[in-house]
Amino acid sequence: MFQLTATPPNGLADEPVHIRVTGLPPAQMVTLKASLKDEKGNLFQSKAFYRANEAGEVDLERAPALGGDYVGVHAMGLFWSLKPEKAFRRLLKRDVINNPFKVTLDLYDSVCLQDSTTAQPRASQMVQRWFLGPGVQRKQIREGRVRGALFIPPGEGPFPGIIDLFGSIGGLVEFRASLLATHGFAVLALAYFAYEDLPDKLLELDLEYFEEAANFLLAHPKIQRPGIGVISVSKGAEIGLAMACYLKQVVATVCISGSNAILEIPLRYRDLLVTPMRFDWECIQIHVSGAVRLRSGNRDSRNEMNQQSVLPVEKAQGCILFIVGENDECLNTRAYAEQAMDQLKSHGRSSGKMLVYPGAGHLIEPPYAPLCFASWSPALPRPVLWGGDPVAHAAAQEHSWREIQKFFRQHFSGTGSKL
Amino acid sequence: MVQLTATPLSALVDEPVHIQITGLSPFQVVTLQASLKDEKENMFYSHAYYRANKVGKVDLEYDSALGGDYVGVHPMGLFWSLKPKKLLTRLLKKDVMNSPFRVQIKLCDLQSPLRNQDTSTSMVSVTLERWYVAPGVTRIPVEEGRLRGALFLPSGEGPFPGVIDLFGGIGGLSEHRSSLLASRGFASLALAYWGYKDLPSQLQKLDLEYFEEASNFLLRHPKVFGQGIGVISTSKGAEIGLSMAIYLKQVTATILINGPNSPYGIPYVYRGYTHQSIPYSLQFLSTNALGFIEFQGIYEKIGVEASQSLFPIEKAHGHFLFIVGEDDKSINSKEHAKKAIEKLRRHGKKNWTLLSYPGAGHLIEPPYSPLCWASKMPNACTPISWGGEVIAHAAAQEHSWKEIQKFLRKHLIPVVTSQL
Repeated sequence: MFQLTATPPNGLADEPVHIRVTGLPPAQMVTLKASLKDEKGNLFQSKAFYRANEAGEVDLERAPALGGDYVGVHAMGLFWSLKPEKAFRRLLKRDVINNPFKVTLDLYDSVCLQDSTTAQPRASQMVQRWFLGPGVQRKQIREGRVRGALFIPPGEGPFPGIIDLFGSIGGLVEFRASLLATHGFAVLALAYFAYEDLPDKLLELDLEYFEEAANFLLAHPKIQRPGIGVISVSKGAEIGLAMACYLKQVVATVCISGSNAILEIPLRYRDLLVTPMRFDWECIQIHVSGAVRLRSGNRDSRNEMNQQSVLPVEKAQGCILFIVGENDECLNTRAYAEQAMDQLKSHGRSSGKMLVYPGAGHLIEPPYAPLCFASWSPALPRPVLWGGDPVAHAAAQEHSWREIQKFFRQHFSGTGSKL
Repeated sequence: MVQLTATPLSALVDEPVHIQITGLSPFQVVTLQASLKDEKENMFYSHAYYRANKVGKVDLEYDSALGGDYVGVHPMGLFWSLKPKKLLTRLLKKDVMNSPFRVQIKLCDLQSPLRNQDTSTSMVSVTLERWYVAPGVTRIPVEEGRLRGALFLPSGEGPFPGVIDLFGGIGGLSEHRSSLLASRGFASLALAYWGYKDLPSQLQKLDLEYFEEASNFLLRHPKVFGQGIGVISTSKGAEIGLSMAIYLKQVTATILINGPNSPYGIPYVYRGYTHQSIPYSLQFLSTNALGFIEFQGIYEKIGVEASQSLFPIEKAHGHFLFIVGEDDKSINSKEHAKKAIEKLRRHGKKNWTLLSYPGAGHLIEPPYSPLCWASKMPNACTPISWGGEVIAHAAAQEHSWKEIQKFLRKHLIPVVTSQL
């Protein structure tokens, strides 16, 4: 009697699931398939082929996949190798409160290729992946200019406050903030364009908006004083780094796949104007898939012509953690982070740390999120190449998520007062 | 006054075009965009950015593209870097006789590559005709006995070297390579073997006698040299081509493009004898980062019988030209050719040449064909990755096409010895 178990069947999206199959004939070839429909009805699928051992079992924590969407021992491979049925779609949970992602696991007792209706699975299991832990509360924020969603852990607090920034996708992306809140932080997922009454397009970065958000957080009764953290990715990381440099309220900043210079659009803060470093559009290459490889148009932030765009990281009062993927096809993030680290060192600051992940791409997300190699981006009529090698990228996501939490805990337990 | 010239305006698809621009401002950066509409109205686009020299000139034979669909000096880059607007569509000419592909080359001011391609405003443009057939080539539909296909004959009396042209898993009838070969002086029979007219709709077995019938048909033709014929074959077609070379003495020159060295999946039958094939090991299939299927792993040979199933290539009398794309994702072509050649060597044979192209993918086509890196096949839900890096693949196509013609001429045109 074939049995397929997945434990836990309901869990957080950043927690592993232990998948086992028992009751197979010894050495039987099986296919394990995962499928998920996102909130827009887009189908994502993955599969792997395994051979049962002598006892007729397949334990994904021990058994190597022979082929499919990944090869080798990868207990969570079915999750992070999920691929969209329509190429260039990105998997992103929008509603983190009301429902989870539902992943259906199917077992076939043969090497099953076609995503067809003719083959019936011999066993199925549904796994729920939640982006919000029990007791975490979500509050819609519309204070002054600030627009976003604040996630507060259960309990009295006060909790370390963190602002969460995504990139040129715009709108409000909440799933990382909600997961981080589940780990004991008060996190404000902050929108800055293409959301509610915020500007439709990002034409300039107004740092006072982000300062307003920081002050809003610090004024909250359940949030620790005197400083907040920032977690930020891509364009968001550029903003995060600017916040670290110019806002004394910011004491710990995580910059994932960001630039150390202001790019394409200017940054404004009170009477300071930072002119941007532009892309060399005529150098931008098209990848064989048709996606745009923005990295080929990146300028060199060490070039003296671009110094007015480079952020003065030596002015940052808090600590900065740079997270970069070497296979980032959007930005040369390693070079940018290295320059920032050199800048800190040359000013005698030891407040910077860099984690470089070989094989990881641009979109480094919480663990088990599928690698998004290229996807449609709002601003452009063509898909954008993000890059990444699936296995290495998955490992980078797992490792960096732990490091991010360690970084924030180390920093906040050192300075936070529990008044 | 800005002028865009492209010569020749009308030519065979395997002929290069010289593109030049004059009348620009010194060092002005411009965009050159190419567009093509195929027979199903699918649009294909490519673009590249060039900087004019100090007298406002751009010459694609000398100037380097700064970016776009290719970088560097590539006079034909706009053609072989064409990409489908509807992703994963393959460019394939169906009607080779009556119409060319029309490629429009547009010169535009520098613009973001991310502007809508359909509506980009241009300063000036030129439209080129790219033909798959030279004037005077005739196409004869073939429906003799079991044979189904099309015979392309060069203009003139002949006799011409005869070639059978076999494609692979795509099925049906692909004529574009045969029509070009005929334009270059070969009598080429584009031969279908499944998924066409009354031929089987699925490949269940390969009957070598069908291919023998085709060989004899070609040899018998008054305009074909009677000493022996050639085979040009790709992918699954190359598996067949290899078996033809071994079992049919009519075949004296065989070109194998990215094919396996053993029979796979379905059995071969010939005169009452069945040659078993190696089952595909589907469990070793993999996918790339975009989820496209890479078939290379399925040719894994498991078990003693499987490892001994290599075609007895040493029995072939004719000559072989192996063409390998080292970046082929659908079969480990390099390894297969290597093992086949090793077997020939072990038997003291020297009747082979290997052309191995780093960066080339599975679908090595005539020159200037756009790289098809991945496409949707009729029976598969998931797109298949063929592999290839754009620039290297283009170079492989150019080089191999010349070598293909040289090889066929060398081994099929009888050497006329003096009677003195």
